[in-house]
Amino acid sequence: MMNLLLLFGEHPGWFFVVATLLPLLSFVLILLASALWCAGRAYRNTPGGAALFNLCGGEERGRTAAFVATGAIALAFVFSLVGCIRFSVQQHSFETAIKQHEKALHEFAQKLKEAKGEAKEELEAKAKSEKEKLEDQEKRWADARKTYWQGHFDWLRISPKGIADADSGTVLQLGFKIDSLSAIMFVMVTFIATLIHVFSIGYMSDELQPEVEDHQVHTAHGHLHRRGRFGRFFMYLSLFCFSMLNLVLADNLFQVFLSWELVGVCSYLLIGFYNERQSASNAANKAFITNRIGDAGFILGMLILWTHVGTFNMEELFQRVRAPLNDTHGAVEGVAGRIVRGNLDPNNTTKAGQRFTIANDGSDVLLFPHRPPEHYHAIVPRVAENPKPDQHGSMPYWMLVAAGLGIFLGCVGKSAQFPLQVWLPDAMEGPTPVSALIHAATMVAAGVYLVGRCYPLFTYDALLVIAYTGGITLFVAATIAVVMTDIKKVLAYSTVSQLGYMMLALGVGGWVAGLFHLVTHAFFKALLFLGSGSVIHGCHHEQEMTKMGGLFPKMKITALTMLAGVLAISGIPLFTGWYSKDAILAQAFGFIYVHPQHLLLFLLPLATAGITAFYMSRMWLMTFTGKPRDEHVHEHAHESPWPMTVPLIVLGICSVGIAWGWPLWDAEASFLEANVHHAQYPAVLADFGHIDYSLSEHHGEYWVAAKDEAQNERVFAYRNHHLAGNIAFVLVAIGIVFAGAIYWKRVLDPAEAKEQFPRLHAFLMDKWRFDRLYSAVFVRPCLIVGHWFAAFDLRAIDGVIHAVARSAMWVSKWDGLFDHHIIDGVVNLVGNTIYGVGARLRSVQTGFLRSYVLFLVLAAAGIFLALAYFVRMAMAG
Amino acid sequence: MTFAVGLNHFLLLGAFLFVCGAVCMATKRNAIGILMGVELVLNAATINFVAYAHYNPIFQVEGQVFALFVIVLAAAEAAIALAIVLNFYNNHTTVDVDTAEELKG
Repeated sequence: MMNLLLLFGEHPGWFFVVATLLPLLSFVLILLASALWCAGRAYRNTPGGAALFNLCGGEERGRTAAFVATGAIALAFVFSLVGCIRFSVQQHSFETAIKQHEKALHEFAQKLKEAKGEAKEELEAKAKSEKEKLEDQEKRWADARKTYWQGHFDWLRISPKGIADADSGTVLQLGFKIDSLSAIMFVMVTFIATLIHVFSIGYMSDELQPEVEDHQVHTAHGHLHRRGRFGRFFMYLSLFCFSMLNLVLADNLFQVFLSWELVGVCSYLLIGFYNERQSASNAANKAFITNRIGDAGFILGMLILWTHVGTFNMEELFQRVRAPLNDTHGAVEGVAGRIVRGNLDPNNTTKAGQRFTIANDGSDVLLFPHRPPEHYHAIVPRVAENPKPDQHGSMPYWMLVAAGLGIFLGCVGKSAQFPLQVWLPDAMEGPTPVSALIHAATMVAAGVYLVGRCYPLFTYDALLVIAYTGGITLFVAATIAVVMTDIKKVLAYSTVSQLGYMMLALGVGGWVAGLFHLVTHAFFKALLFLGSGSVIHGCHHEQEMTKMGGLFPKMKITALTMLAGVLAISGIPLFTGWYSKDAILAQAFGFIYVHPQHLLLFLLPLATAGITAFYMSRMWLMTFTGKPRDEHVHEHAHESPWPMTVPLIVLGICSVGIAWGWPLWDAEASFLEANVHHAQYPAVLADFGHIDYSLSEHHGEYWVAAKDEAQNERVFAYRNHHLAGNIAFVLVAIGIVFAGAIYWKRVLDPAEAKEQFPRLHAFLMDKWRFDRLYSAVFVRPCLIVGHWFAAFDLRAIDGVIHAVARSAMWVSKWDGLFDHHIIDGVVNLVGNTIYGVGARLRSVQTGFLRSYVLFLVLAAAGIFLALAYFVRMAMAG
Repeated sequence: MTFAVGLNHFLLLGAFLFVCGAVCMATKRNAIGILMGVELVLNAATINFVAYAHYNPIFQVEGQVFALFVIVLAAAEAAIALAIVLNFYNNHTTVDVDTAEELKG
């Protein structure tokens, strides 16, 4: 372990690069091996062929692929963990030093207020040296991050036409940048993915058989029989993990976009894994097409930024859009870290450019040079076409809003937010481990992660859109989950709902809360999905909860671990969900405190906390308690094998304790949250206020920078953390009690409730009619327009073509007749005439020598007579 | 009345011989007979050449030379014709020219 810790010496960021590339390597290996396997299969009886065949896995290739993929991701986990530890250690040492200096500086400032005379001068000198030390320390930390934890190289250079200069043109880069958020995401993704790989070895074991019978596909000859696809499954999983890790690793939007699309492709391949099933193939298409809509927005956002800011590199983008904290004149007052709006004054121009007047409702946004942070003289250079990164510039405000909303639209698609949430529940057609991977670690996390990553690019308006989108999503999805009876669908809607929580948190300034919830949610959602997979596997692929019940005695491990997940997602104190969900609610509370007109942004998540507790308890109680609803299913139910239960137990433990800190009962003390906190952008603090925990030591005083206290959302969030949490807990308790009363104690009959509100029930069962709405608004019109085009094709275009064809036929018919009768007639006539003459002359050639002689004589006599006649005539004439 | 033998008599004799030869060729079925007819026709021509050579001093040499040519030609022809006849006999065991009708159209 020590050797591993010291690996990559001066470039510890490579831990994460290697962790990213390992799954890619496994993907390529499996792909090549399968190709060679196919090639070697025909020659497996020759010695060389057999060696090749066995090298590529032989008859056990599926199992080999699984071990390669699992080994790669497990190794990636080890690398991520080592990298994360190294990063955290380094970060901790620097941040502690910086905090000490800050604290000392703060104390000097307090004392300075009272001090007089010489003592004051002495204090001022001390404060000055302390400040220098602080700045030095901050600079060293910034340098360390740059040299140790970042790197990039030029990948594609797009030179202007005709110029082959290696340094000109624009460059697309590949790079990595590690902060504590990406480090934690790495560990989370690789850890969960490893467990899912192990789980899949058990869950997908059916696919190991050379021939698999798919009971859900009916062909003319009964059920479909096909080859097992164990290896292919793990190959896709590897690619999926690589894509997600690369997305987390990326330091520029273009690289993010590449991984973004790869993630989309992998989800398409895995959702449609049972591609012979019509429903699976439809779901895969739906997921892919819905994501395309979001990706279109993402591309637009990227292009806007590229056009106006001139770079894809995220750090440079942020530095351009947000005002620097310090510049050559010292700390920036008032606007530090914020988006600066103003108006360009066309009448007030100087040699250097146009003057920029700052106004809160200005039509333009000031772009700052990313290096060095020169003092701003309110003059924007006149170069408008080619944005230069080392100069001040400006871009229209609405363009920045549009860029932010475009990027967010991409995240809406990936993270299944309203209105693009429809694909996620359908994605349940994929194998259950895939659902776990998509819902916990990879696909849907990508959207939330990117919103968090691109946070400095979002304007206040864009953030409000994000918050409301999240608010609507979390409520809609939770209400649908209440009526679902398919165990996986309940979990799918709960994922959509939880993602809504994260988006809402990000929108109201709870950057840490949202991303913290992303990490904790990943653990308990992976647990819940793998648990449901275990139930489904144990019940022989029965997913309907209406056929389950009373499974607790048969599947104790699954039931208990799932219970941990249910309690965690419900937000029961001391479980992981409690820490993160309370943080979100507190942030929402702080937000509405300052902006009471957005009251809905607190009420929706609050109500949904209760609903969540209700439907999750309902799911668990319906599955594991009460009387068996279907004797057949219950009789055959069994606990899953160890490769499935071990990941469950590990995830169960994580769901309970991954967010713990000291003291345990303090919702603010989470160690994980504190680590995520390190990565928080200064922009978040500038937009939503700042609390310095180092001075408060968790309890007591806080101080505020950049924002006025009366307008500080975070101050109110911090003050009311426990209040918001307690209200939510009451609702959660009510939800759980309610669920227990209905599904455990049977005090209330769910069927009666269903009859009481038939229209509401139908509305919810119909998923708020979104599918119908889209079908009516988009799919049907598309089909109708398609039919129109088809009809136009059939009638107009085909008509013209047919008419042309018919006239051509008519012309050629006449042409044919002319050919046949006139031209052929002449030729035949000549031939026939010659033939007839020949036939007649034939009789002359009798073959009798004597008759020839006769002719000869007669001819000679004739000639003689004719000559005599002519000579006579000539003599006479 | 003196009966002087002149050119016309020789020409008449030649014509008579030619007709005899031609009739012989046309009527005989025996190949040898036909050859004989041919000889008669050739001799008719020879008589004409010789007669003209005698009565027309312009053709004195040419007429005799052609007569000699015809004799030589006749000899050669007879040799070839007899060879053909012999082969014909070998194939058909007859010299009847009416059986030789392979060239019938």
